Amino acid sequence: MDDIFRELEEVTVEQYDHSDLPKWLADPVLEVARNPEAYQGKEYLVEILAAQVREYDVYAEAGCCKWAYDHEDIKRTLRWLEEER
Amino acid sequence: MAIYLDCNATTPIEPSVASVVRRFLEKDFGNAASPIHDYGVFALTAVEHARGQVAEVVKARRDEVIFTSGATESNNLAIFGLAEAGRQSGRRHLITTAIEHKAVLEPFEEMARLGFEVQILPVGANGRFDPQRLADALRPDTLLVSTMQVNNESGVLQPLTEVADILSQHDLYWHVDAAQGFGKELEQLRNPRIDLISISGHKIYGPKGVGALVARKHERQFPPLRPLMFGGGQEQGLRPGTLPVPLIAGLGEAAKLALRNNSERIAQCRTFRDKALATLSALGAEQNSAEEYTLPHVLNVSLPGINSEQAIKALKRVIAVSSTSACTSHTHTPSHVLTAMGLSSEKVEQSIRLSWCHMTPDVDWCEVETILRALRG
Repeated sequence: MDDIFRELEEVTVEQYDHSDLPKWLADPVLEVARNPEAYQGKEYLVEILAAQVREYDVYAEAGCCKWAYDHEDIKRTLRWLEEER
Repeated sequence: MAIYLDCNATTPIEPSVASVVRRFLEKDFGNAASPIHDYGVFALTAVEHARGQVAEVVKARRDEVIFTSGATESNNLAIFGLAEAGRQSGRRHLITTAIEHKAVLEPFEEMARLGFEVQILPVGANGRFDPQRLADALRPDTLLVSTMQVNNESGVLQPLTEVADILSQHDLYWHVDAAQGFGKELEQLRNPRIDLISISGHKIYGPKGVGALVARKHERQFPPLRPLMFGGGQEQGLRPGTLPVPLIAGLGEAAKLALRNNSERIAQCRTFRDKALATLSALGAEQNSAEEYTLPHVLNVSLPGINSEQAIKALKRVIAVSSTSACTSHTHTPSHVLTAMGLSSEKVEQSIRLSWCHMTPDVDWCEVETILRALRG
């Protein structure tokens, strides 16, 4: 079960250190990644969050088609994680 | 209850896949094409997540995955979808192999009726087509080559790596029906030369009624496919209709597990294979494909002196097996695959296919042997 949380932490640190993921977005994601007990039963959403962080692109909305994830996507998933979803 | 050994027809569903499907049936039932509230946005998020999970298996991009109802529809979209491009460019030559599934052979027959020239490559006794024969068949007006990855009846892996080398210098479209190999043999389908890949959900422990066509883009352009249906513009205009979110999310989960658990699944299937082979060999069974090319979860054998229909009936309380592909078994026609491999009609009538998976429980092989010996006696 902890694998997905470990993966989320790794990808977030990677995107923060070497890419454009801002601190204000990385911090709440890392909060999720480092508290697996608090998000038990929500692994599906955590998995989605990890994929969104991995494919994060500041300019995801630019151009004709959106094929990356932006801060709105990540913020929304974080919100869902806090809700009864 | 008999142990299910017909996983090439359809696989049992993984528990976590069933759980994801149920979630989107019962609780998160929004329409992905209606992302104006959280129900719709969550459905769309799940679809895009699944698209990424499927793409990852073949190292494609997320926007190269088009969800369909299954591999049959994907095959039809790949083949008929290129017809217009063929007509416009004057390229009307199509190549496929004699052992393809009916979901490829019958669209090719229809393409022939529409004025295309179809060339069907033979296969050898080992169950594989010869890449050199394919190279010899290529022409300047060849539009499409369609070759399966793994045969559904024999379990034989086809020489796609060699084909990729041959086709690297040819300007034509290459479609691979990967219904039986997607998520099982991983490396071949990652070859970027393959333009179009058909996959199926229910062959990888996912739900029935969902699949995908992976259409690799070159210079941001799909192969020049035309949709088969119209009305809605979903799936980048290539497959309209409301997306079945529960099935798509289930397919994504199944694809994820196929990738993550690939080596463990193969090891479990090999262990099962050794036991099955030991029993069948003791009965003098002759394997109908070359062992070195056969995936570890399939055995197609002929049992001398035992008619396959009698064997299947006699075994039905112990194991559930088949004699040919699920899509042709109801017609009681001899297997076109084994016939193309050069087997005598007697051996074809004595052939049974056993296919299992990592979830298959142990079989009482002693009982299987006893039943089959009694039949022969």
